[in-house]
Amino acid sequence: MANGTQGGPEILENLKLELRRGCLIVAVLGQLRTEQYGYTLRKALADDGLAIDEGTLYPLLRRLETQGLLVSQWREEDKRNKRFYRLSPAGEQILTQLLEEWQNINTSLNKILQEAQAL
Amino acid sequence: MSKTTSRNPMDILDRYLQAVGFWLPKAQQQDIVAELSEDLHSQIEEKETELGRSLNETEMDAILKRRGRPLLVANRYLPQQSLIGPVLFPIYWFVLKIVALFYLGPWVLVWIGMMSFSSSYRAAHTSAGWLGAIVSAWSAWWFTALVTLSTVTIVFAVLEQVQSRSRFLENWNPRKLPPARNPNQIPRSGSLIEVVANLMFGIWWIDIMSTRVLLDRPEVRVVLSPVWRYFFWGFLLLALINTVLAAVNLARPYWTVLRASFRLATDCVGAGLFCWMLKASLLAEITGAGIPAARALEITNAINLGMAKVFPVVLAAGAVIALVDARRIYRVNKTVLAPLKREVSAALV
Repeated sequence: MANGTQGGPEILENLKLELRRGCLIVAVLGQLRTEQYGYTLRKALADDGLAIDEGTLYPLLRRLETQGLLVSQWREEDKRNKRFYRLSPAGEQILTQLLEEWQNINTSLNKILQEAQAL
Repeated sequence: MSKTTSRNPMDILDRYLQAVGFWLPKAQQQDIVAELSEDLHSQIEEKETELGRSLNETEMDAILKRRGRPLLVANRYLPQQSLIGPVLFPIYWFVLKIVALFYLGPWVLVWIGMMSFSSSYRAAHTSAGWLGAIVSAWSAWWFTALVTLSTVTIVFAVLEQVQSRSRFLENWNPRKLPPARNPNQIPRSGSLIEVVANLMFGIWWIDIMSTRVLLDRPEVRVVLSPVWRYFFWGFLLLALINTVLAAVNLARPYWTVLRASFRLATDCVGAGLFCWMLKASLLAEITGAGIPAARALEITNAINLGMAKVFPVVLAAGAVIALVDARRIYRVNKTVLAPLKREVSAALV
């Protein structure tokens, strides 16, 4: 990939972005099993190795809330109003299904990669 | 927050939030701006704790710059809209290319042609000089392009709205797709028409054009120059070759490099012969009972001159035909010979 492919790093970045897009939703839903506000959620994701920029996170949170997967509440903490998010009951169900799907994909990928290695 | 920067930091932050809010829909504006403000405050606080002091203006600028241009930040919250969506866009692009190729391009060629060959058109449009004529044509072309492309865009924008509601493009039938097409296939109907047309041309040519006396009536007599015999035999031979080639194409309806090269050669010879004929002062004399000799000579010269003037058009047409023929050879070579060569090299290896 590195040799010969012009714009290789750019292609890799785009592919990584596509790969991460779906994973980030699962990660956000997973993190919000415990209530958090945007800033701490972002920090928690980054600490776990899934850094996400604010411009992606906040619109994503609003979209997930519109879809009924999250609920939010404005509350005062440390003398500042913060919006706290947590998983809704519908969100919990969806998360369970998504994690199952994730496991299936993971199993399939491992199988495919092992088969390819065996060749 | 008021202590975070040396010079009114609230002002910079407020101006940033206001700028983001400007692009947001009214219903969500306050909510989104409040959350964005809270996030920025948290980030500023963290940075200040890390540095152990208030942020200066440059550091504040860096935080806001990293967050992004207000319009782009706001855009992330807006529903993704497009005038023409991804479903219709390829068709829209295809139509634009067709319009450019068959209308806007020819518009320029027609203008060049009219300015080159029509003295009355040229006189009417160069009253303000050549520069004025070019500027006037350029603005007329842009206006035409703008109107045409806008019309196409509006039509597709309306179609997009209809499609997004009715999803009519999602209802399709695979059986209605056009048949798979081999670019090297020669339609048999075309070859048949070519055979018949060439035969009819040959019969007419021998019957009418075999003599130099084109018209022999008491009131008018038209005679061609002796050089005519070259053209007569040349075109007859070409018609014969084209008939044979079309007949072969009818029996074996796929281009081969040999036949495609043959077509290029006959078309080039045909165009060359035609060009030569136009320049050969073909008309020798026109005589008639009621036509004075001077007038007859004048008419003869005018016709020969008129034919010579068509020469550039025929030359250009011949060049286009030759290009099409050459492209055909390239395509046949690529699709027929290249895989064969690869197979041979693979076998040899």
